[in-house]
Formats: sequence, structure tokens, C-alpha cells
Amino acid sequence: MKKIMSFMGPYKWPAIIALAFMLVELAVELIQPLIIGKIVDEGILKNDLRYVVVWGSVMVGLSVLAFLAGLSNSFFSAHAAQSFAYDLRVALFKKVQSLSMINFLKFPTSALITRLTNDVTQVQQVFFMSMRFMLRAPLVVIGSFILAFFVNVKLAFYLVIPFPFLLLFLFFMVKIGWRNFGIVQRSIDRVNRVIQENLQAMRLIKAYMRGTYEASRFAKIADALKQNSAKAFQLMELIQPILLVVMNGALLVIIWLGAEQIRANEVQVGDLVAMINYALRITGNFSMFAFIIVLFARAKSSANRMEEVLDINETSLEGEMPLVQKTQRAISFHDVHFQYENGGKDVLRNISFDIQKGEKIAIMGATGSGKSSLLQLIPRLYDATAGEVSVENLPLKQWQLPALRERIGFVPQRSLLFTGTIFDNIVWGKQDATLEEVIDACQKAQIHESIMQFDDGYETKIGQKGVNLSGGQKQRMAIARALIRKPTILLFDDSMSALDVRTEKKLWDNLQNERATLLVVTQKIHTARATDRIMLMEQGEIVAIGSHEQLMQQSSLYQSIVASQQEVDSDV
Amino acid sequence: MFKPFGYEPILTKDMLQRQKKKRDKATNMGATLKRIWQYVDEQRFLLLVVLAMVVLSSILQLLGPYLIGRLIDDYIVPKELKGILTILVVLAISYILLSGALFLQNYWMIDIAQQTVYRMRTDLFEQFQKLPISFFDRKQHGELMSRMTNDMDNVSATLNTTFIQVFSSILVITGTVIVMLTLSPLLTVITMLIIPVMFFATRWITRRTGPLFKLQQQRLGKLNGMVEEAISGQLTVKAYSQEQRLIDDFTRQSDELKKAGYWANIYSGGIPKVMNFLNNASFAVVALVGGILAVNGHLSVGTIVIFTEYARQFTRPLNDLANQFNNVLSAIAGAERVFEIIDEPIEKEGHTLPVTRRLDGHIEFDHVTFRYDKTTAEPTLSQLSFSIPAGKTAALIGATGAGKTTIMQLIARFYDVQEGEVRIDERPIQQITRSDLRKQMAFVLQEPFLFEGSVRENIRYGRLDATDEEIERAAKQANAHTFIETLAGGYDHLLTEDGGDISQGQKQLLSIARALVADPAILLLDEATSSIDTVTEMAIQEALDRLMVDRTSIVIAHRLNTVKNADYIFVMEKGRLIEGGERQQLLEAKGRYYDMVTQGAALD
Repeated sequence: MKKIMSFMGPYKWPAIIALAFMLVELAVELIQPLIIGKIVDEGILKNDLRYVVVWGSVMVGLSVLAFLAGLSNSFFSAHAAQSFAYDLRVALFKKVQSLSMINFLKFPTSALITRLTNDVTQVQQVFFMSMRFMLRAPLVVIGSFILAFFVNVKLAFYLVIPFPFLLLFLFFMVKIGWRNFGIVQRSIDRVNRVIQENLQAMRLIKAYMRGTYEASRFAKIADALKQNSAKAFQLMELIQPILLVVMNGALLVIIWLGAEQIRANEVQVGDLVAMINYALRITGNFSMFAFIIVLFARAKSSANRMEEVLDINETSLEGEMPLVQKTQRAISFHDVHFQYENGGKDVLRNISFDIQKGEKIAIMGATGSGKSSLLQLIPRLYDATAGEVSVENLPLKQWQLPALRERIGFVPQRSLLFTGTIFDNIVWGKQDATLEEVIDACQKAQIHESIMQFDDGYETKIGQKGVNLSGGQKQRMAIARALIRKPTILLFDDSMSALDVRTEKKLWDNLQNERATLLVVTQKIHTARATDRIMLMEQGEIVAIGSHEQLMQQSSLYQSIVASQQEVDSDV
Repeated sequence: MFKPFGYEPILTKDMLQRQKKKRDKATNMGATLKRIWQYVDEQRFLLLVVLAMVVLSSILQLLGPYLIGRLIDDYIVPKELKGILTILVVLAISYILLSGALFLQNYWMIDIAQQTVYRMRTDLFEQFQKLPISFFDRKQHGELMSRMTNDMDNVSATLNTTFIQVFSSILVITGTVIVMLTLSPLLTVITMLIIPVMFFATRWITRRTGPLFKLQQQRLGKLNGMVEEAISGQLTVKAYSQEQRLIDDFTRQSDELKKAGYWANIYSGGIPKVMNFLNNASFAVVALVGGILAVNGHLSVGTIVIFTEYARQFTRPLNDLANQFNNVLSAIAGAERVFEIIDEPIEKEGHTLPVTRRLDGHIEFDHVTFRYDKTTAEPTLSQLSFSIPAGKTAALIGATGAGKTTIMQLIARFYDVQEGEVRIDERPIQQITRSDLRKQMAFVLQEPFLFEGSVRENIRYGRLDATDEEIERAAKQANAHTFIETLAGGYDHLLTEDGGDISQGQKQLLSIARALVADPAILLLDEATSSIDTVTEMAIQEALDRLMVDRTSIVIAHRLNTVKNADYIFVMEKGRLIEGGERQQLLEAKGRYYDMVTQGAALD
């Protein structure tokens, strides 16, 4: 909560000014009854028409003043609240962007999205309303208490007795409410999750005609949300009735005892009437408390959820980065182990190898043998659990991340394109690229001709995740996105799986001319044969390294892979 | 130009003009309200109970002050305390009843509100299921999600409190006006003067807040879409160190949202302030006019004092109503965006006949031309004709982007053709309902998708009534059994949201198992094994070959081994069929397929 509050700091002054304007409004409201009294006592009763007109006009003037104060309040409070939300949102987004993949995966995507949108809005609203009217109710209550003491200490005392109990009660309600709204928020996360899954997997759902199944699955989760929200809100509805019963009880006690004292001539009638008035006013404003508490409880659970993100301690990934020495060694792994979760199973074991600059390496192995994981260690998307990975003879921990990733063109297995034009997506890898560079990269990636066939060429818009493109087109665009950076290391994670032989052949020829070091995860022997060395993986370990010919002699696993691709049509 | 804190005004004359032109804005709003009401109305009984409670609590709320007044006048002032206890007891009871009534009205109203939102939400979700695939091609996921969450949230928050507020305010106002009229008709008229002013002021403001709220929700939706993409594509973002650029983008969009939010706040914040002003002003005017009348002897002092109190009682609920107005506005903006989706045209079925038996699976394309986007010149498929006899296996080969996946999507009726006809068992495909069609079909998509849930549930997705044994058998056939066994929990292993703990190839194995469990008449495999290593693939291939016996299968693949057992081969290029027929014939014809087989080790 504290951390979130600190985001209000920069807007202290607009907030204070807004509050001041609100106080002006409040003061006018409180003064009006006094003026009425004056008009009655001094004007009407004394038949002084001038007095009535003057003070009546003053009242009208005060209303205008309050109005102006109220309008001005809007400008300041809106500025403070909107800017606060803006700062918070940007800070959250920055934090999320700075997380390492390991920490990033701790939050489901949908949970991060709610934190960045819904939760921010929630807290922003409470801040805004506090500056506008929510603080009024407590102020009126406190003011009325003070005035009550001026009227009659003894009677006012009875008014105060229930107060500590009520505060305790409210405190507990905030606590319970906070917990309940946390549960509600988690239900919202689940609802979001199912929606997101459905949007992503719409084709699959339709192919299997699972629309009704999904709908009933969603209904269950939405029902849980309904139940949890109802429970949370309904519990909060206890606040107002209980406050009313207690405060009204105090009022009756005051009337009862007051009447006794009047009979004993200890108290004036007027005083008792005033006391009753104050008690009524306090009670009336107390009922606002329920509303305020609900809002605060929700805001608090939102704030806590945001802090979960802001509080993640990210050990700085930035190395000192000494001068990179000229070396022939591009990438080396030294006894590397890797697990996705601490204490989880080893995804990689005892990985050691050296790759020289300009070398072309293929990584092969069964599904789940650790090929992708190995590749992802190189741009430091994950850190090795043990051992050391170096690029250009410099351990990764000493690299500055942008400098490291600048050198690497990584094409992930799933080619994800972003909403925007094709041009936007290609220059994604290099913001200042010219059209010539884009075309050059696309030509190398063998996608230029396909792009030119679209009506809008490079300005063709790509929908969410590039749905209008075929798998192979997406892959080639992702490759162009990597090539345009002119990286010294190219990592292809099975990113040519959807390419046909001819296209792949041309692409390979182009890659030969790029003097980059190349690591390519592949299933295809003919791809592997075009490389200098092949690394064969099995269950997280490298079982063989060598050229095609060497492996053919040494490795039975490799032989069986080759055999599986003996693509001979027996009928030919 | 007035630019507070540097906020450029964003409400253009144009926007207002449009508002004016859209005279039916009010009816539009009215229509939205009516639709929300239809949902609320489904719980009419509970609603009536709530209304009864509101009536009860309103009366009790008025009774309290009245009794206290009597108590002061009749007992305390004359210092006559006999009988005071009775009134105190009556008061105590009325207070307890009041609290009870308040609690119950709110308690039940929350039930109603939550049920309403639940119904709207599930309706929206069901609508998602009915919308054509092309709708989702156009929309950003995050933006759609925003409608489901942020917009629904607005509706829910408003229903929770506003309804009761509005109703009880109306009750209190009516009661107060009656009392005021009996006290002084003239002062009542003066008090009422504020109503037209209130009306015009509110209209002036809402004409501005309406579009602003809408803009705000739109920008929030856009921001949501951006966040969703940035977060799902995080791996790519990191690998290219594009964090800073995304942050800049986000900052810019956030700024847009802030601007819209600021002006929405300013204008909507005006309503309660105007109300407050009119409230205070009418109070002052009543005091002024009342005072003058009293000096002239037309009114008694007591009447003025009581009347000013009632005038306050009259304006306070009006003030409440005005405050609620903002919530109502933003809720309507939210609801409108929800209904917008619900009103999207759904997939139409046309004239269909029921399919009562298992399809044979004779698939025919007859001069089919298809474009994803009707405005593009170059069709994705053009004048495509071919035929696959029932029970046979056909392979589609050709370069990427040649239209292979599109053919499969047409067979599954994800899209409908624009020219020509697709027939299954001699029946035009449009005459078969999508559900009948897909029930007999299994489709393994290019990109495997797994749901959050156990491995078992994910396989069972293919056929919901499959037994555990059947699931295990399918997993074994798909060669997934061995790796499933190594997962913690085996078949009950929970797959996480992003499936980070299993590889892409393993996901494909599970997708194949899912298709196997479905036992379809038509099997569509779109690059189903592209990420699977060839050794494993060979093992699956045997299972698939066995499976393909007696069902029509269409396979898209690059590897010869996957294709060589197919009965028919179709070679595609740029949306056209350049060669097709029985595999034997193609080999003998020594055409394109023959070239591929003899030249390359893989196909396309």
C-alpha cells in the first residue's frame, strides 16, 4: 500500500488544493444554517427587510463561491488522479518489461493484464473520489463531535462511548473486506484466463464443436465470480445497518438521560435539541462510511496486487561490460545445467562446447530433449542454473543485456507477429531501418515476393498474431525481422519447419553469405548436412558432436534419425 | 485555448455536432437501458421484494425525525416525562426495522445485480462462440477482453447501488413535495424552479460526457490490447531488446487514455457541482423570499424554518440522483460496448438438413474461389477443383502460402466459399450444419494449443465422454505416453498457462492424441508433426496409417515419408492446383511430384 501511495507524492499540491476547494464548499454548506438563524432572529423577528435582503444575497453569493470552488476542484483532482494513474501504469509496465523470463512466468498473462488495467483504475477512482467528496463524511462527523462537546460535555460523552467500538468494527470490516475482494479479484483473473484461452484457441474450439462445452465451463467460473462478488459486497452491507442501530441507540440514550436532566433542570431544552441534531448528522454521515470502506477495501487489494509486481526483486542483469576482446570464439558453454524451477527436473545437464565465429551448427534431438532451452540461454532469456555460458569469450553475466542481444538474431519456434503493418513488423528488429534494408532482409528471407503480392505490399496490415498469413509466411517474416539487425549470431529455433525445400535452400544460400555464427535447431537431416557440425541431444545432454559423416559412423541415434528420413518412394 | 495542466481539449466541435445530429442518441441510450432492464427484469419477484423493502425503509426514515419532533414538542419542552418511554420504545423498534430493511434491500439488490452481470457476461461469452472466425481475425484479443472485464465491471458497480438510490430518491422527493405544498405553495414553486435549470445543465454536460466516456473506454480497450500483445510476446520482445520501445508505445497510449480520462472527469465532475450549486442557491432563495414574505406578514417564522429543512430534503436526493448519473453514464458506455458485440452477425447456417449417419467422407471441391478479404484482388484459392473418394488419404503439398491450410479451413467450414462449391458425400457443405460436420471431423491445427488443466483433460477435449483407458490408448498411439509418464503427476500433470514446461513437439503429440480420441470420419492434419523429430514421427506415422484406414484423411506435410502412403496427391501453387490425382499416376506421369521425389528429400 505504501509503495502505491508514494505515487501520489508528486501530485501532493494539486491534491491539497483540490481538498482546500472542497473545504470551501463544505464551509459554505455549514455556514448557511447559521445565516438562516440570523435572518430569522435579526431580520424577520425585528421586521428589518434590509437585513433580510442583505443576508439573503450573501447566501446566494456564497452559493456561487461554493460552485466556483467545486468546479475548480474538478481540474485539480482530475489532474492529480489521472496523472497518478498514468505514472503508476507506466511504472508497472516498465517493471514488467524489466523482469527476467523466470520471474515473468510467475504471473499468468491474464493476471498481469488485470494489474496493468483494472487494478490501476480501481485505485485511481478511490483517489479521485477522496479528493472530491469522500473525505467530507469523516470531516462532518469529527466536526459534529467537537461541536457537541461545546454544547454539553456530559451528553456528548454518551455520543462518544460507542465510537471506539464502531472504529474497531470498521477496522475488522476493512480487513475482511480486503480479503474478500482479494478473492473476487482472483475469480476475475480466472474469468479473464478462460476468455483469453478461448480467444487464442477459437479455431480449435470450433473444430471440435466445443462452443457449448466452453460456454458451460465459463458459466461455472463466471458463477464463482458472481458468488464471490455477492458475498464480498453483501458482507459490506452489514456496515450501514449496524452503524445505524448503534448510533440511533446512543441517540435514544441521550434523549432518555437528557429528559431526566431537564426535569432536574440540569440541562436546557435548546441544548438537548442541538445534541439531537448533531447525533442525527453524525449518523447520517456514518452511512457514507459503508460505501467508502467498500471502495477502500477494493483499492487496497488492488494496490497489494500491484505491489506484488513492483516488489519483485530483480537482481540486476546488467554486467559491467569490459571491452570485448577480439576472439575467435563465438559461443561457449562450460558444464551448464539448467532447470526452469528451482529443484525441478534438469532440462539441461553437463553441457559443454565451443563454437568458433562463423561456424554453422545444427542441433538435433527428440522432442523435449532440451534444444529450445539451450538456445534460449544464449540471449540470456534464462540464466543457467550452474556452469557458465560465454559469448565472445565474455561470460554472459558481464554483458550489458542490450549489447548482447544486439548481436543476436533470435527466431523463436512460434513466430509471433504484432498488430501493425508488415513493414512495422520487420523494422521491429531495427527501428531506424530504411525501406531498402527492409526489402533486402525480406529478399534474403525469401518473403519479398509474397509480400509484393499483397495489395498493400509492405503496408499490409497484420491482425492479431498475424492470422491472415500462412505458417510459412509468418516464419519467413520472423526470419527477416532477425536478419535486418545484421546480427553476428543467428539462432533459429526450428524456424524453417514450415518452409519448402526450394525456399529453404535459397534461404540457406543467403545465410552462407551472412558472416554470422549460426545455431539452428532442426529436424531435417538435409538442413543439418549443410552445417559444419551437428550437436545431437538426448534428454538434456549432448550425446554427440561432429559432422554428418562422423556422426554417421559414431552415433546410432543419428543413424536412426537418418534412417527415418530415408525418403525413398519405393514405387519410383 | 484553455489548457489546464497542459491538457489539450479533445472534445471537438465535430464530435458535438455528431452528437447533435445523432438525435436518437437519447433513444440509443434508452435502448441500451432497456436492454439492461430486460436482464434485471428476469428477477422480477426479487426486485419487487427489494422495492417493498425500499418503501418500508423510506417510510421508516421519515418516521424517525417525526417521532423525535413529537417527543420534543409534547414531552421535553413541557417537561412532562410520563409516557416518554413508550415513544422511545417505538423509536427503538423503528430503528431496528429500518436497519433490517436497509440490509435486506441491499443484500437482495446485490444478488440481482450480480445475477444480471453474470447473465450478460455469459451471453457475451456465448456470442463469442457463435461469431465467425473472420470476426476474430479482425479484432485484437486484449480489446475484446476489455469489454468482458472493464466494461462489465462498470455495469456491475452501477447496478449494485444506483438502482436503490434512484428509487428511494424518487420516493423521498415525492413525499417531501407533498409536505412542502401543504406548507407553502409559493415557496414550493420557487424551489421547483431549479428543476428545469437542472435539466438543461445536465443535458449540456451529458452531451459532452457521453462521447468522452466512450472515448475513454475505447482507449482503455486499446491499451489493454497492447498490453496483452506485449505480454504474450514477451519472449520475442526480450530477445530483440525492444523493451524500451514498447515502454514508449505504452507511455504514449497511456497518455492518450489519461487525456480522455481527464476531460471525462472534468465534465462529469460538473454534474454534482451544478447540483450542489442549485441546491445551495435554492436554499438561499427560499430564505430570502421566505424572509421577505415573513416580514410582510404572509408567512410564520416556524414555517420558514421547517420549509428550509424540507427544501434541503428535497434537493439532497436530487443531488444523489445527479451523482448517480455519472455512474449510469459510464455503465451505459460499457454496456453499449458489450451489446455491440452481442449484435455482431453470427455464423449463419442457411438451409441445412440434418446428418443422421456417419459421413462417408467423399470430399469434392468444384471450381472453388475464395478470398479472406473480399477486397483483395488476388484470391487465396482460385477455380480449385478436385475430389477425394470416401475413406482415402490425400496429401496437399506445395510452397508455403499456396492455400493448403485454407482448403482445410473450408472443409471445416471456418469460412464459406464465395464462388463454386464444396461438397461432402455429394451434398453442398452449406447444407450441413457446422456442428454435424465438425462432430465427424478431427482437426489437428498447425499451432498446437493446450488449455490450462491436466494432460488428461486436454486429450479428452477430443471426445468428452472418452474413458481414461481410451485416453491412454490414444496417447500411446500418438507416442505421447512415454513423456507423459515422466511428468510429475503423469496424466494428472497440470499444464500451465503458457505450457512452458513441455516442448512444442510434445504439444503436437498431445494434439494428435486429442484427435485420435475423437474417432472421426474425416481427419485433417495440418503440419501435425512439423515440430516432432523424425524418429518419433515414424512411430506416430504407423499409428496414423492404421488410423487412416476407412476414414477420409487430408494431410499437409513437407516430408515424403508422411506423404508417401497417401492415395492421392495434390500439388498446389499460388492458390491453384497444378497437379493432382492418384499417387501412382503422378509418378508415372513424371510431372512435378515426380521431380520432387527424385530431386529433393522433402516436399513442397
